Amino acid sequence: MTHELLNGLTSAEAEQVLRLGTRLMVPAGTELFRLGDPADRLFLTERGRIRLTMPMQVRGREEDIFVEEMAPGQTVGWSALIPPYRFTLTATASLHEAKVIALPREALHGYFAANPAAGYKIALNLAVVIGHRLQLSQTMWVREMQRTVEVRSA
Amino acid sequence: MEMLLMGLCMAVFGVGVAAVAFGAATRSESSDSVVQPQLPLVKAAVPARFFSDHAAVTPTVPPVPPRQVPIEVLLLQIENHVRMEQAAAEVFIAFPSEARLHSKTTSPFVN
Repeated sequence: MTHELLNGLTSAEAEQVLRLGTRLMVPAGTELFRLGDPADRLFLTERGRIRLTMPMQVRGREEDIFVEEMAPGQTVGWSALIPPYRFTLTATASLHEAKVIALPREALHGYFAANPAAGYKIALNLAVVIGHRLQLSQTMWVREMQRTVEVRSA
Repeated sequence: MEMLLMGLCMAVFGVGVAAVAFGAATRSESSDSVVQPQLPLVKAAVPARFFSDHAAVTPTVPPVPPRQVPIEVLLLQIENHVRMEQAAAEVFIAFPSEARLHSKTTSPFVN
């Protein structure tokens, strides 16, 4: 299993990072974390899929609206490394049980301090993950805005 | 003399009959002139129909309120829309161009 967050690390470095974490089984439909929760752990998906959702008012009811689905190898919950360390989405295991590795922030910070070269690679990988999310979000936002402008100026 | 009186009576009778006939003709003509202009209006308002020339009243259909889709279906439509938009955004990120950024979606949620 290759994790996007560990790209470029030697197998020994990757093993060291993975040993910092705890493997968790998340039953289907169970929340891994909820929007607003303190984010003190980062998750690497190993098996199954994690749905990321945000609340939206639909017909007067608050519903969790699908935002993104994370596949094995992808990183979930990078808010654990970004202040103010609060989750901005809700993460739930999809149709099947999911398996994730939970990496505590404190342990990661300690590892980065002790292994700056590996920490730098991980930080770059994290920038790729966050950058991709930003690009996706701004593209989708512009497309929605374009539709709104077309409707309003019609 | 008798012949003269008979001729006079016949003339008076003929004048009377002519007067009555003229009066009847004049009265019917005036009453028709009131009713007739309405007929073309009624006909014009009624659409042409097969096998029927009756100026029937058009049946009024009560307005049907738009049916709301169940919320589960609506949420699924939103999810599909997000997935489609995400796919379109991925294509734009891989090969950025204005055309790809503003490519029309086929998502039924907004069409």
